[in-house]
Amino acid sequence: MAREPGPLGRLGAHVLEVLQILGEATQLFVATVRLTPLAVVDRGRVAAQLVRVGTETLWIGALLSLFVGMVLVVQAAGQVKNVSQEVLGPIVGLSMTKELGPVMMAFLLAGRAGSAMAAELGSMTVYDEINALRTMDIDPVRFLVMPRFLAATLALPVLVLYSDFIGVWGGALVVAIDPVITIPVRSYFDRMLEWVKFGDFLTGLFKGVIFGMIASIVPCTFGLRTKGGTEGIASSTTAAVVWSFILILVFDFVIVRMTLR
Amino acid sequence: MADTTQHGVAVELSGIRKRYTDHEVLRGVDLNIEPGKLVAILGQSGTGKSVLLRQIIGLERPDAGRIVVGGVELERYLAMPPGQKPFRMAMVFQNAALLASLTVAENVSLRLREHGHQNSGEITEITRRALEQVELAGTENKLPSELSGGMRKRVAIARALAVDPELILYDEPTADLDPILTEEIGRLIGRIREARGSTQIIVTHNLPLARTLASRIAVLDQGRIAEYSTPEELGRSSNPLTREFLRAATLEMRGD
Repeated sequence: MAREPGPLGRLGAHVLEVLQILGEATQLFVATVRLTPLAVVDRGRVAAQLVRVGTETLWIGALLSLFVGMVLVVQAAGQVKNVSQEVLGPIVGLSMTKELGPVMMAFLLAGRAGSAMAAELGSMTVYDEINALRTMDIDPVRFLVMPRFLAATLALPVLVLYSDFIGVWGGALVVAIDPVITIPVRSYFDRMLEWVKFGDFLTGLFKGVIFGMIASIVPCTFGLRTKGGTEGIASSTTAAVVWSFILILVFDFVIVRMTLR
Repeated sequence: MADTTQHGVAVELSGIRKRYTDHEVLRGVDLNIEPGKLVAILGQSGTGKSVLLRQIIGLERPDAGRIVVGGVELERYLAMPPGQKPFRMAMVFQNAALLASLTVAENVSLRLREHGHQNSGEITEITRRALEQVELAGTENKLPSELSGGMRKRVAIARALAVDPELILYDEPTADLDPILTEEIGRLIGRIREARGSTQIIVTHNLPLARTLASRIAVLDQGRIAEYSTPEELGRSSNPLTREFLRAATLEMRGD
């Protein structure tokens, strides 16, 4: 009878599994990118996925961004009370455009649309729908993954701009109505525009593109490798979201480090 | 579609082996199926019947052995672009495997819309005729979730018929169905054999169904074909597994 693996054996198995998942995700990414020129032909499916991503993220994204912008102003006002509230505009502007907008929207997309992708593809894998496509000479990567990948990659930069805009106005709302904040709203915006450069927007948009790729490829990878019944679909969905969050933060660090001057 | 010429293809399997980790499911399967014949593959659960179908349709690759369909090596057939394949194969899965987000008509016409050369009007007509054949006309706009298990199976058969395949594989087409629906599906498969002449391979546990429909029955035991005979010869078989199947089927029919 085979011996149960010890702690080192189990660790090795986990490392191998992580490497296998990363390998599968990379392979799926390459195959999907190769198929993107066919998006012109498959534009109906891409548009349908864009609508899905939009409906799953727009309202909750607005709410998140509004409150994060408001909280940022209140938190920062407490920290800078002995310096100057003139820095509130730059703090909110830079935080939203470079970091919070992209990461928050990426988490939202991975949590809402990404989990739905993993669950849907997982269910299709378990119930032989993916195999049925293969027997009909239909490439599941082109039919299912490419439209989701493109929709997420195109939608996330737009969501980042949307989040930046709402977050900044959320901050402005607090500046306008909170008696603790003494600077006028105009000054909040003037200082923000002095500090926030066009390049900061571009960094946020670039992050949006990369995070959009991660938030779609990772869930699709987990969806397509789902095994078992309902339990398998549930664990694939959870793993897809956790992995997406981790990879988004890892790539966030890499991009921030690369753009540091 | 609806071409009534006999256009089945031959299927030749030799030495098919398939292993999953430490368990060898198929241990050298040899089977020759003549064009236009309906062959049932019988066997106990876990003997690799469905695994064998997956090798024939190309969803999985055997570890060893050779599969030739319609005179073409399967590997070569699978590598051909869809429009250049000399014949078509279709599979009806055990759980129907209809795409849940598509309507019945979209499911049936999916392959034609993706690879067919027909215009939209022709595709609609082919879809209508395929659904008529399985007695499901009028369900075009329903979603799979709105259909019963038997209806879903029939839609899956219509999806296979829509591409006018020369080879149709059925994985447990009557699993989870009551005796009346089982008989309905059996009649439908029989009609397809008479009308089209496609080669058909059915994996089933249902011996009465296999004896009614099949020209020949293959009994799969421990990863090998233990017996390959006509339904009449099967009744006189001395193979222990076949005898066991016959005994169980007789008891079931008596309701014991």
